[in-house]
Amino acid sequence: MNLWLAAAFVMVLALLPCGIVCFKGGTIGRLVGLEMADTICVLLLILLAEGFHRLPFYDLAVGLALLAFGGGLVFVRFLERYL
Amino acid sequence: MKHEIIIAILLAAAVLVTIVSMVGVLVMRDPYQKLHYLGPVATISAPCVAGAVLLQEGMNQAGVKALLVAGVLLLMNAVLSHATARMARIRDLGAWEPQPGEHVMEERAHEERPS
Repeated sequence: MNLWLAAAFVMVLALLPCGIVCFKGGTIGRLVGLEMADTICVLLLILLAEGFHRLPFYDLAVGLALLAFGGGLVFVRFLERYL
Repeated sequence: MKHEIIIAILLAAAVLVTIVSMVGVLVMRDPYQKLHYLGPVATISAPCVAGAVLLQEGMNQAGVKALLVAGVLLLMNAVLSHATARMARIRDLGAWEPQPGEHVMEERAHEERPS
């Protein structure tokens, strides 16, 4: 295990509290937990791509970063008006 | 060897900031307080990881993509945090605008402005 994979392992552990917040919090708290998990997952994908020396994995991180942005805005819009 | 030490420091900083922020999100009760802890991950951890990748790989495809991701996260965090706080306020009060009798910072700044 190299340094990148060790950092990725700790980042995975940091996702567990996100799950707890998403399950136990109120509506807005759950959304905050989801946004935090999105950000951590993007960083996790970068660390895994570098740890495994797989260049295509970086595209997943770029895609997830862009989709998390759009998805977060959609959640916010729906919670603001319809839910 | 010097590069490896700097990379280790950057990754350790990124992981540490992420864990501290995660604990903050977990411990805080108010959603507005939780929102504050989204910031450090996007503004400190992401540039640290991107910097570590740049040091490791140089300015090739991987480095550019890591920089791009860090930039998107910086932008995304600012916009999403604002939108989420706005949504929370609208859900609480029914409107984003200041309510009658509500003391806002803009009024205070206006009062303190010398005439």
